[in-house]
Amino acid sequence: MAADDNEADLVEKVRNGDPQALAAAYDRYGKAAYSLFVRITRDHGASEDLVQELFLRLWNRAHQFDPGRGALGVWLLSVARNMAIDYVRSARTKFQAGLRPLDQTKTTAISYKPREPENVIDNAKAVREALAQLNPNQRKALELAYFEGFSQAEIAAQLSEPLGTVKSWMRSALERLRKAIHGGVKP
Amino acid sequence: MTHPEMNELYELYLLGALEPELAREIETHINEQCVYCRERLEEAAVVTAAMNGMAEEKRPPKHLRARVLASVRAPKPAVNWFYALGALAAACLMLVIYAGWSINTARTLREQIGALTVERDQLRSAVEVLSRPDTRMVQFGAPAAPQGRVFLSRNGVVFAGSRLPQLASDKTFQLWLVPAQGAPQSAGVFRANAAGNFVNVVSRPLDLSRIQAVAVSVEPSQGSAAPTTKPILVVSLG
Repeated sequence: MAADDNEADLVEKVRNGDPQALAAAYDRYGKAAYSLFVRITRDHGASEDLVQELFLRLWNRAHQFDPGRGALGVWLLSVARNMAIDYVRSARTKFQAGLRPLDQTKTTAISYKPREPENVIDNAKAVREALAQLNPNQRKALELAYFEGFSQAEIAAQLSEPLGTVKSWMRSALERLRKAIHGGVKP
Repeated sequence: MTHPEMNELYELYLLGALEPELAREIETHINEQCVYCRERLEEAAVVTAAMNGMAEEKRPPKHLRARVLASVRAPKPAVNWFYALGALAAACLMLVIYAGWSINTARTLREQIGALTVERDQLRSAVEVLSRPDTRMVQFGAPAAPQGRVFLSRNGVVFAGSRLPQLASDKTFQLWLVPAQGAPQSAGVFRANAAGNFVNVVSRPLDLSRIQAVAVSVEPSQGSAAPTTKPILVVSLG
């Protein structure tokens, strides 16, 4: 497995049961997924379990993924976030009894096109630079939405701020992120 | 809701941060196969995935990579071997059970056939003794004591009756032909059933003139060469 295999090739090889392709996917996204799991669960042991479960899902369900549409990292990290939030919200025993099926997550309803930046890790770096320019309230609101799975109303309650204010913060913060990644909202 | 209005909500929709009514409205619109919305949603997914960059980087432990890879490599052959060995073990167990059952069944059948063969031979002998014109019958017994009949011919003896007592499992009744002189001759061992009824058939040429009585004694289960206990029954043939 070459290090510069594109996402579509990587997924195609995983679909064909190539363990080296899965190893390459892990090398590419394992650290990001683990960091995300640790941030959300704050439990290193659980994060290891979740990383294993995440790549098992990729291995077992790669046939559901359209390799022509690439963006494996977007898919993996979206699923990882859902898994982590589910884990935090559920009792451990419930988690072990069965994670939410993949086809019930929003991520499966979405397709990703090759024209999008392929490596979400690069996007994450751009996001870090954009995040550095956010004020603390904007950043906090985004973190509560992304890491805790809170709705805007819940964020407003959590921060003791009016809902309209929270919406304004998040709108501004997301616009900065869009610009960092896509160059802004499409017309 | 217009497209420009929705443009600012796709990330929030994917994050599950919208109020339920707005989320439903967007979802309904997406399900109507709006190409514009689907494309914007795809872009929003890239933004939300990149928000992972807000997490502090943590290096996963080195063993995790091997663990992940082992979890996808090991199960297939392991599961196959597990089931194969399990199926083989189950088949062997079934074979052993079947073989054991067959052996036990065959042994039981052989024992039943052997017992039936003995009974058949005894009945044939009894019929032969009872049907001969020279056969004579001696009746014996008293109230509250063993009672029955002795049929004697030159071809054998049929000794049948009731009210014999129950014996311990290591004991048996033994019939003796008692001559006028000399030692009693064994005429076989037998047992009474639970009601005390019994039949013993002796099938061999006999010199009736020399036999003066038949007697029954209690002997060890394999029988004795000569009576070892006092007879519980003596039937004089004179």
